[in-house]
Amino acid sequence: MSTLTDPTRPAFTRPRAGYGPHGARVNREEALMRDVRPVGVWLGLACTVAVLVGGCGKGEGNAGGGGGSSTQGGTLKVGAALSLTGSLAKEGRLTKLGYQFCQDKVNGGDGVQAGDKTYKLAITYKDDKSEPDTAAQLVDQFNDSGNKLILGPYGSPSTEAASAVIERNGQVMVDSSGADNAIFDKGYRNTFAVLSPATSYLAAIVDAISENANPKPKTVAIISADDGFSKTAAKGGADEAKKQGMQVVAMEEVPEHTTNVSSALTKIRPKKPDLVLVSAHVEEGIAAVKQSKELGVNPKGFGETVAPPTPDFAKALGKNAEGVVGSTQWTADSKGQDKVFGTAKEYAEGFKQRFGETAEYHSAEAAAACLALVMGVEKAGSTDPAKVRDAIAGLDTESFFGPIKFDDTGKNADKPMSAIQIQNGEPVTIYPSDQAQAKLQWPAG
Amino acid sequence: MTQFLQATVNGLLQGGLLALVAVGFSLVWGVMNIVNLAHGAFVLIGSYIAWKLQTGADIAPLLGMVVAAAALFAGGYVIQRYLINLVINAPIWMTLLLTFGLSLVLVNGLVLLFTGDFRSIHTSYGSDSLAIGDIRIPYGRLIAFVLAVGFTLALVWFMDRTRLGLAIKATGMDRGAARLMGVTVRRVYGLTFAIAAGLAGAAGAIYGTVDTFSPANAGIFTLQSFVIAVLGGLGNMWGALAGGLLLGVVQAWSGQYLGGTLINAVAFAVLVTVLVIRPAGLLGKPYYEARVEV
Repeated sequence: MSTLTDPTRPAFTRPRAGYGPHGARVNREEALMRDVRPVGVWLGLACTVAVLVGGCGKGEGNAGGGGGSSTQGGTLKVGAALSLTGSLAKEGRLTKLGYQFCQDKVNGGDGVQAGDKTYKLAITYKDDKSEPDTAAQLVDQFNDSGNKLILGPYGSPSTEAASAVIERNGQVMVDSSGADNAIFDKGYRNTFAVLSPATSYLAAIVDAISENANPKPKTVAIISADDGFSKTAAKGGADEAKKQGMQVVAMEEVPEHTTNVSSALTKIRPKKPDLVLVSAHVEEGIAAVKQSKELGVNPKGFGETVAPPTPDFAKALGKNAEGVVGSTQWTADSKGQDKVFGTAKEYAEGFKQRFGETAEYHSAEAAAACLALVMGVEKAGSTDPAKVRDAIAGLDTESFFGPIKFDDTGKNADKPMSAIQIQNGEPVTIYPSDQAQAKLQWPAG
Repeated sequence: MTQFLQATVNGLLQGGLLALVAVGFSLVWGVMNIVNLAHGAFVLIGSYIAWKLQTGADIAPLLGMVVAAAALFAGGYVIQRYLINLVINAPIWMTLLLTFGLSLVLVNGLVLLFTGDFRSIHTSYGSDSLAIGDIRIPYGRLIAFVLAVGFTLALVWFMDRTRLGLAIKATGMDRGAARLMGVTVRRVYGLTFAIAAGLAGAAGAIYGTVDTFSPANAGIFTLQSFVIAVLGGLGNMWGALAGGLLLGVVQAWSGQYLGGTLINAVAFAVLVTVLVIRPAGLLGKPYYEARVEV
């Protein structure tokens, strides 16, 4: 057994950072000299395994190619930095499924027809570890390797960070999940979002409840995570609630991605609101409902932005999820159709067949973003990023995701949001009324 | 007043759970001088074991907790014996790198196995609470708190009253002297790490019954453990309990009176203040700083 593997053998005085005179420099260096090789081997092995298991940096295989490169029967190379690990790994995975499904459908059909050439769609994924800075760097790397056409990362912070790089590099990005209005207030020309903006998330829930609830709630308390998207959505909800004649009795913030919202609930409880709205992500959303029950906060109903339509919301909460209203960018009942996916129902069936999972909105908005990019290239008749940009800006079409038509800031402003309610453990569409599969249950739960 | 009391109850209940999450981390750091960055991943593995046993085999979470603790105990011993031991004498940054790498492997392994979905372990009493006037004490969190404090007290007893516990403490104080007294340091280190991992597994299982978890929680668990261990004093089990309760209450109060966004800022401000006044932590003893390792 070597010295290193046997702590029982007297070794050297271990240098201890920050604790006075113990551990003279000579000992530290001696330690390094003796330790570095075998330790390095082990560390190298650990890091290699980490990278392999993490699935990071999936084989690029597109070096030298790019959105601009085009040969007959060649590939249309598109880059996507996604949260494959980290705090948004779940949503990142769903987004990736949407992109993959789009690639499969496009390549299984006519391919991408640009002018007289036909391309195969090839999306390259890189893991941004759920960090906005990394997403921006990866988009820059895509540019370095010639990828000018980009599909958005997951979430508003990463999309906002990436959009600045996109603009600088003259790349074109179709954003699938960055809904924060702040992304579109900067005057950028090359970022387009297929989804409805953040302000409509809670507003759609308020409208759904206001239109269908009897008695209509009079008081509303809003809990928001402290990130840009959630705060913008909360403000949109508060404005809509006031417009509908409700009184906003409390607006509380909780740290982003926390699983403990008891402080906000303790403050809300004495105000006995009829409706509690939560503008946050899945984990805060689950915590808000669960801890409300624990702490005796009993409104007539809950409305939450993005959590209820995700499958793990109902699974994690069990019977407590019953009656919670959520807003969603898309349901299988959404109106419209396109040549790649057909109707929303056909999209949902195809998705289930391909992945064995029920289609939900994260993957649908990703597929819609990919569809908009493909339509842009086809309309431009070219893979030149400037031409594709102009073509996307001029799109005015229907799709399985609803209308796709961008305003001057790049938002798909006319697309309606839908609202769902958890009924018997499943999310069912309750709003808008022409798509509703069930009536709002009120009081809920 | 009701709000203050409710916030304090919330903070104490959360603090007890945080203490159990952190106590193993503090033990390993205090005794072995290893900042185990994979500690959060151990906690999560405990959560997933209990969750899988409940959803797959309908095994009650409390029994799942025992299985999780036992599995992590065994796993912890093996990891210490065949991995951590390789760098036990190396400078601290080597152990940081190794445990960081280990954490990456474990967390990404969990993502591969269970995806990044949020999970929760259902209990029959999950949404009920004990009402004392206007104060609500959720049963689930109360049970978690009692178990967490119970485990921490059991560890205190074990460290102070058993031969093995005393050997662990002695090794932490002066490895050379302990060796001269006949302590098999290699075995003590293995068992210390195993106990810490076992407690992390139990903490994870308990945490899963009151909260949601996903692989992304690993980093948060490790960070909280770090803060609590430093706050309470390294290697001192009472310190971990005090640090956990203090952190829980401070977070609850700051959420109540200063707003949610400042919770973490206030928590770290308290940490800095405590360290300025008592550099060894709330209950830390100077000998952990001055010890000699030969």
